[in-house]
Amino acid sequence: MPGTLTLSQLSEGMELPGLTKSVTQLDINLYAEAGGDHNPVHLDNEFAVKAGHGGTVAHGMLILAYISQMMTGAFGANWLQAGRLDVRFKAAARPGDTITVSGKVAKLVKANGQTTVTCSVQCVNPKGETVITGEAQVIVTET
Amino acid sequence: MALTYDQLAAGFEFPPGIFKLEAVRVTHFLRSVGDTSQVYQGSGLVPPMAIAAMAMTKLSETVGLPPGSIHTSQELSFSGMTRLDDTLTSYAKISRAQKRGKFHMIAVDFDVRDQSQKTVLTGKTSFMLPQAGEL
Repeated sequence: MPGTLTLSQLSEGMELPGLTKSVTQLDINLYAEAGGDHNPVHLDNEFAVKAGHGGTVAHGMLILAYISQMMTGAFGANWLQAGRLDVRFKAAARPGDTITVSGKVAKLVKANGQTTVTCSVQCVNPKGETVITGEAQVIVTET
Repeated sequence: MALTYDQLAAGFEFPPGIFKLEAVRVTHFLRSVGDTSQVYQGSGLVPPMAIAAMAMTKLSETVGLPPGSIHTSQELSFSGMTRLDDTLTSYAKISRAQKRGKFHMIAVDFDVRDQSQKTVLTGKTSFMLPQAGEL
């Protein structure tokens, strides 16, 4: 797949091509339609304020999808076939936020003709707060 | 189906949730996350995170999360590609439930299988729920 990284391009410590994403209430509304999660804390500003969230917040899984998109861009179909995510949600993302999505190759393990690539991944909001942090792993086979 | 926190014990199994990967929902998903990855263009492939979102919604149809609930962590493993119009079934079980102060922590293990019973996604999702009450 064009644009994806090949094994020869990978090295421990290298940064993955990152993403910058803008969160809008329209995105959140569309995500609710797609996934079926209509919790008002994501959709109803008045409700979200009364619930103590200070306004609507994006679904954590919407923001996590940004990391998956970054991994798809880097590893293509390998990510869809054999990707793993293990993350923690640390802070909320809100409409109007610009989220910086980044990843770094932490470890490469070659065995049986395959390479397991472990990456540290994170999403950071405009205040510099970590929204999501964790690990992504993918098995890459050279074609 | 309303549950109380007391019913959310380790080992509780959720009813299987069946859902179809409809093009309109997948299109909404891709637009909502701004994903224009080439791998999805005209291929009929479905992003695994769209499947995860739909599977988790099936969970929340059984356990409606109250305001103040916090999604604390998420594990996901993708083990096969899915296509538009595939029909998937999610199976889920509470693997951990404990009270910590005013909060209840629950972890749910789930797997999603396609129409040939091949697992395409597994995961563990953890929530912190405020106060006791009806879900």
